[in-house]
Amino acid sequence: MFEFFKNSQKLLGMNSRNLEFIRPFNRTRAKRLADDKLLSKRILKKNNIAVPKLIATIKTVEELENFDWQSLPSSFALKPNRGFGGEGIIVVYGKKKNHTDYWIKADRSLITVDDLRSHVRNILDGSFSLSGTPDVAFFEERLQLLKLFKPYAYKGIPDIRIIVFNKVPVMAMLRLPTKESGGKANLQQGAVGTGIDMATGVTTTAIHGKNGFIEKIPGTQLSTSGLRIPHWKSMLLLAAKAQEVSNLGFLGVDIAIDSKNGPEILELNARPGLSIQIANLAGLKERLNRVRGIKIKTIEKGVRVGMDLFGGEIEEELEEISGKKIIGTVEKVKLIGKNGKEIEVEARIDTGAGISSIDKALAEELGFGEAVKLWEDFHLDKILSTSEIAELSKNKTWKELEKHPDIVGVAKTFSAHGATYRIEIKVTLILDSLPIVSKLSIANRTGLIYPLLVGRRDLRKFLIDVNK
Amino acid sequence: METAISPIIRFFITEGVPFQTIILLLMLPVIATFIAFLRQVVGIKAFGIYTPLITTFAFLATNGLRYGVAIFLVVIFVGMLMRFILKPFRLLYLPRVAIMLTVVSLIILTMLVFGGNLRRTGLASVSIFPILIMITLVEKFVATQIEKGNKAALVLAFETLIISILGFFIASWEGLIGLLIAHPWTILLTLPINIIIGKWTGLRVSEYFRFRSIIKKL
Repeated sequence: MFEFFKNSQKLLGMNSRNLEFIRPFNRTRAKRLADDKLLSKRILKKNNIAVPKLIATIKTVEELENFDWQSLPSSFALKPNRGFGGEGIIVVYGKKKNHTDYWIKADRSLITVDDLRSHVRNILDGSFSLSGTPDVAFFEERLQLLKLFKPYAYKGIPDIRIIVFNKVPVMAMLRLPTKESGGKANLQQGAVGTGIDMATGVTTTAIHGKNGFIEKIPGTQLSTSGLRIPHWKSMLLLAAKAQEVSNLGFLGVDIAIDSKNGPEILELNARPGLSIQIANLAGLKERLNRVRGIKIKTIEKGVRVGMDLFGGEIEEELEEISGKKIIGTVEKVKLIGKNGKEIEVEARIDTGAGISSIDKALAEELGFGEAVKLWEDFHLDKILSTSEIAELSKNKTWKELEKHPDIVGVAKTFSAHGATYRIEIKVTLILDSLPIVSKLSIANRTGLIYPLLVGRRDLRKFLIDVNK
Repeated sequence: METAISPIIRFFITEGVPFQTIILLLMLPVIATFIAFLRQVVGIKAFGIYTPLITTFAFLATNGLRYGVAIFLVVIFVGMLMRFILKPFRLLYLPRVAIMLTVVSLIILTMLVFGGNLRRTGLASVSIFPILIMITLVEKFVATQIEKGNKAALVLAFETLIISILGFFIASWEGLIGLLIAHPWTILLTLPINIIIGKWTGLRVSEYFRFRSIIKKL
C-alpha cells in the first residue's frame, strides 16, 4: 500500500498539470496561439518549421457563398480552426472520376460540394470550436501515409505526440488510427497509443483506447512494440523548436510524417492529455521534475538530454561496445526481390540453423516463381529420405537446377525431421536497417508461423537477445 | 423544532427577508464548496459548477426529490433521442437546440397533465422555475454531446444527477441548517477550505482508478 502511494507520486494528475505546469509555464497569449491552428501554422512556418501546406480559408458566410470549390485539389483536409480532439475534420482522398462535384472520403463514401458547404457552415457557426464561438474553416494539404505505417494504420494517418518541457522532449506516444476510431488518431475514439523509447524512437508498450494494454495491433498479427519510427531525432528537434518558438513552456506537439516531405507539425497543444503515461508505462511528473530548472541553451542540447534521460540506455551502450546490433528472436525483415520488389515480413531468428530459408510462396511473391516451379517440377518441395538425397547427388541434379539464372546454389539439409534438397536464390534482406545480401534456400514452410527463417550465416553482425 | 437562532438571522427576518431565502443563500457556498471538492479531490466532473448547483436548488424547490429526478431524466432522455432524430436534418446549432427545448417543454407539460390526471398533485404543482432551470440543462447536454460525444455527455449528466442528489441531502440536512442558523459565520470556513482545494496538486481519487494498472509497474 505504501509502495502504491509512493509510485503514484511519479504520475502527473489533472490538478498538478493545471496548477504546477500549465499555469506557470503557459501564458495566456501563448495558449491562444496553440488554440488557433492557423496562427500557430503561420508562426511555425515563419520559423522554418515544416507544417502541412495551407490551401484556403473560409472566414465568413460571405466567403463561403463566393468560394470556388473547383479550386480545391483532389485531395485535402478540411478542419475547424479552433477544433479539438480531432472533431469536425473531413479528409478526402480523391475526386470521383468524371465528376467535378464529388470527392471520395477514406471510407470510400462520396461527399458533395453541398455536404462540404454545410459542414463549413457548421464550422463557421462554432459547432466544433472549444467554447462554441464562431470559427474559421480551412483547407490544408493531405499528408501521404508512409509505407512503413501502412499495415499499422487503419484508413488515416498516424501521428506522434511529443511532450516538451524546458526544451527537453520528455515523453512521446505514437497514435495509430484503428477501425474502431474510424481512421482518427484519437485515443478517446479508440485509436491505439504506443509508448516510445526516447533515445531510439522504437515503440514499447501499447494501449488500445480505454481497453488497456495490447501487444498486437487489433485485427492483425503485427506486434505493437519494436517498430522503429523513422526521422526520430529530427522529430524531437522539430518538437523542441516548436516549443521554443511558441513560448509554451509545457507543450504537446503533434507530428505526422508525410511520405514525401518528412515530419510536419500538425498542431500544438497547450493542455496535453495524461493517457500518454499509460501508453508509456511511465510517470510524467517524475520526468518533468527531473528536467525542471536545469539550464538548457540550445534545442540540440535539450533533445540530447531528453534522449539520454528517458531512453533505454543499456541496449544502446551494448551496441556501442560490441559494434553489433541487438535483435530479438523474431524481427521484422524487409526483403528486396527481383525488380526491386519489396516485402516486409516477420522472421524467426534462429541460431540453430546455418543457412536462412524462405517459404516458397513468399519466394514466388518476390518474383522467383519460375525457379520455384522448376524446383517443384523435380518433386523436391518435400521431405526426402537420405537415400533419395544420395541419388540426387549422384545424378548431379544440382547441375540441372543451377542452369536457371535465378538459382544461385543448391543446399542439402539434414535434420530430425528428415532431409531436404533445396535451391538457393539471391535476395537482399534488411534487418534492423542493416542490408544483408543473402542466399536464401527455398523451403516449404506452409503451416509454420514465420515465412522466413534467418540463420547463422546472415547473423554475423548481430547479437541475439532472447528476452526481446 | 426549537433551535437557537443567531441574532443576525433574527435581524434579517425582521427586515423582511424570507427565512427560506436566507437558508438557501447560506447553503449555496456549502454546496458550491462540496462540488469543488468533488471535482478537484474526487474527480467527479459533472457539467461544471453552475449546473449541478442550480440543479440542486431546483430539486430543493420541487416537492420532493423524486419529481425533480423524474424531470431531470426526462430532459436528458429527450436530449439523447432528439439528437438521433435531428441528425439527418443537419440543422445549425441554435435552431436545433430550439427544437429540442420545444420538445422537452411539450413533454414536461404532458407529464404534468398526466400527473394531475393520476392525482399526483405533487407533480402538477411543481413551480415553474425549477422546471425552467432543468429545461436549460438541454443546452448544456447538447453542447457536451457535440464536444465530447454521446457517452461522455451521458456520464457527465449522470454525475451531475448524483452530485445534485447528494447536494439535495446536504442542503436539507436539519443538523446543518440548525448550525447555519445558530452560527451563520461558519459559512466563512468555506473560504479557507476552497483555498486548500484550489492548491491541491495530488492525484484525484478518479485518477488513482484511471492509472491503477500502471501505478504498480512504475
